[in-house]
Amino acid sequence: MPFLTVEHITKFFPGVRALDDVSVQFEKGSVHALMGENGAGKSTLGKIIGGIYTPDQGTISIDGREVRPTDPLTAQKLGVAIVHQELVFCPNLSIAENLQLGTMPANRGFVERRQLRERAQSLMSEIGVDIDVNTLIAELTTGQEQMVQIAAAVGINANIIIFDEPTSSLSVNETKHLFDLIGRLKARGTTMIYVSHRMEEIFQIADTVTVLRDGRHVATEAIAETNRERLIRQMVGRDVLIQRPKHLDLKPGEEVLRVENLSSMGQFENVSFSVCRNEIVGMAGLVGAGRTAVAKAVFGLDKRETGNVYIKGKRLILGNVNRSMRERVGYLPEDRKKEGLVLMMNISDNVSLPHLGTFSRFGFVDERRELAEVEKLTKRLRVKAPSLESVTAGLSGGNQQKVAIAKWLARTCDLLIVDEPTRGVDVGAKAEIYQLLDEVACQGVAILMISSELPELLSLSRRIIAMREGFVTGELPYEQFSQESVLNLMA
Amino acid sequence: MSSPLRLNFSKFPEGGLLIVILVLGILLSVFGGEVQRPKMIQGADGQWTRAMEKDASGQEVPAFVKVNNFFNAETLTQIAKDTSFFAIMAVGVTCVIITAGIDLSIGSVYALAAVCGAMFMSQFGADAGPWAAVGGVLVTVAVSFICGALNGVMIVAFNLHPFIITLGTMAIYRGIAFVLTNGQSIGGFPQGFRDFVRQGVIGDLSLVPLIVMILVCIVGAIFLSRMVVGRQVYAIGGNEVASRYSGIRVARVKLLVYVIGGVTAGIAAVLALGYYGAASSGDGQGYELTVIAGAVVGGASLFGGKGSALGAVLGAIILQMIATGIVIIGIPQSYSQIVTGVVVITAVLLDQFNRWISDRRLLAQTAHAKKEAVETTNPPVPVK
Repeated sequence: MPFLTVEHITKFFPGVRALDDVSVQFEKGSVHALMGENGAGKSTLGKIIGGIYTPDQGTISIDGREVRPTDPLTAQKLGVAIVHQELVFCPNLSIAENLQLGTMPANRGFVERRQLRERAQSLMSEIGVDIDVNTLIAELTTGQEQMVQIAAAVGINANIIIFDEPTSSLSVNETKHLFDLIGRLKARGTTMIYVSHRMEEIFQIADTVTVLRDGRHVATEAIAETNRERLIRQMVGRDVLIQRPKHLDLKPGEEVLRVENLSSMGQFENVSFSVCRNEIVGMAGLVGAGRTAVAKAVFGLDKRETGNVYIKGKRLILGNVNRSMRERVGYLPEDRKKEGLVLMMNISDNVSLPHLGTFSRFGFVDERRELAEVEKLTKRLRVKAPSLESVTAGLSGGNQQKVAIAKWLARTCDLLIVDEPTRGVDVGAKAEIYQLLDEVACQGVAILMISSELPELLSLSRRIIAMREGFVTGELPYEQFSQESVLNLMA
Repeated sequence: MSSPLRLNFSKFPEGGLLIVILVLGILLSVFGGEVQRPKMIQGADGQWTRAMEKDASGQEVPAFVKVNNFFNAETLTQIAKDTSFFAIMAVGVTCVIITAGIDLSIGSVYALAAVCGAMFMSQFGADAGPWAAVGGVLVTVAVSFICGALNGVMIVAFNLHPFIITLGTMAIYRGIAFVLTNGQSIGGFPQGFRDFVRQGVIGDLSLVPLIVMILVCIVGAIFLSRMVVGRQVYAIGGNEVASRYSGIRVARVKLLVYVIGGVTAGIAAVLALGYYGAASSGDGQGYELTVIAGAVVGGASLFGGKGSALGAVLGAIILQMIATGIVIIGIPQSYSQIVTGVVVITAVLLDQFNRWISDRRLLAQTAHAKKEAVETTNPPVPVK
């Protein structure tokens, strides 16, 4: 009998149905992986079990009893803990204090310091991790912090632990450590839910795997009965038909961007590459490899870098967004909600934001011209929204991303840097964005595309530049493209 | 579907405030009762004199008229005049608040600017020509400009929270005003200046502050809704990072809004100089809170990205109506602060509630739209 069962779970977010009638059963003492592409709903399901979100429909039962974890605290009381990828502790307090924030051993209001330390120590040794419990959380690496999160989970006697993309910012060594720990927890009979999209890990540690796609349950299978190709097919569903992009048939034109020996303390070093007209150049690398930092430097968002950047042969003085924009450089940031859009403003205000100057006369906005231009763009990008006055916060991920891209198409760019252009975007919008980027490249724009999705890089780029830990590790021409050759360079 | 009878609040968010003002006005008129006022008549020479009438015994006695305690020309112009000072500053502070900033020094800027203008004009005495008055106005506005610019420069350069900077300058500016005046009140301005500000008098009241308020409101509304910089003010308050990534010169725009905040305090100071004919370093004590309260009641969000010039003015009017209403209805004056506080919190809660409702409506709409979209596209192909 399954230890944890979720049945008919449905969850709506503004603009998306994140989960649609999903039912899964989790066995005791096993590692159950939840897989899927970005936006497939795997994290949402994990968070619903962990009490962070409440489902709109459906039931959860633990050990045959129906439960309603309405917030993380009630979930914890039910023995469910989440190990997050982001910071959940107070960085200004020590490990010992953080582990017992709610249950501080005290005597008449005064903290029992020795007891505090000893209890934390015993938790840490229970999971076999050796870190001084007086260390401040702020001084820990992400990996160590995750260990502390696991210790906290053990501390509340959690028998269900959810790992939400735990390895996304861990080093190889830390990952190995984590897997050892997961093995030990499994031996203790803990049920683990492992949310990830990294294929290799799944085959290393999971017993069972459930694939979600567009919020729907696709398959649940024992790991021994499936394989890599099968999982990919399940995750993608229909083959994402990326037609051979047309820009590959054009000859690359004039060199638009040349980066020479660009360095920025602690971010990247000695980066050199170039991008020409009619060309999409892919940039591969893991999170933290410095790709986004390079893009931001070219766009003028970094004030500390050294080295040279040339736009159309002219040296660009870095550190000033407006100067980069004047040289017709556009930048689509990786996080559209934090960096790309003003969510409380409507579509037309967002699209025209970088170019208000061109839509104005004597400092006054010419709204008729603005609306006409924005309407043309949103039609071209097929943005689906009730009207141009719709607030962008209410749009789906794909439509938000289109609006964010439209910002840079309102005036022709010579160089367009797109950072994770299809992150969190549904399959349909993805194909449209690919087509759009190809179209823009064919019109003579030089495109630098940063992406963590290999298929995207391989099918859309003319060349791929790989980065690892701040260095450019190599450049591949189209003829040498393969999953393996890129992976070799980036990891 | 929206019914034609329902006001479209998304297009005209200030509609709610207008309704509140209307309801308040009706309530005060109904519950304010009547009061006897001396009857005045205008003679052939244009002078106002007490009207006389014969009583039952045939003797000449001063005549009285019965008027509504709230709804009469004097009370209304009184409210309009009192509101003007706050409302003008509320427009400026609204610009600051829309960028998710705050200006606590506004009352002190008002005092310092007034004192400087007063010191300038008093040198020339009551008989001085118009140039002395013009100079005084320029000095007052210039001082307020400098004060606002200093706030802005420090906030941008030190990258500190505006609360801290303006909390500091609130004390500093008032301190400078005190040092300059030795704590004395300064008067003796050119008579022409005072007459100008006090003209259009009904009884003892002037309409000039009201007209200036309307002008400031119009200019503020045009600035915020029609100009490029105005759009950028909203963008910065909505998402500063995205604004920077869109090439908006965030520091410059921020500097500008603090200058605007300061200058509106200067304009109010000019009016006060003309109206009251004196200035001291203690003027405008606590105005910052009334002004910020007015802006917030008027729909400005302290988290940034929301607010309007008209809203600020209406918010200030509501606060003033309540202050006056307390007197009219006969609640002891000492309760006025408590009532004002309750009103501010209630207004903001109502605003939150309103937003919660519109959020839910949005959620329902998009979920519905998504459902339709999902149902019309092909169902996922099962994998064998």
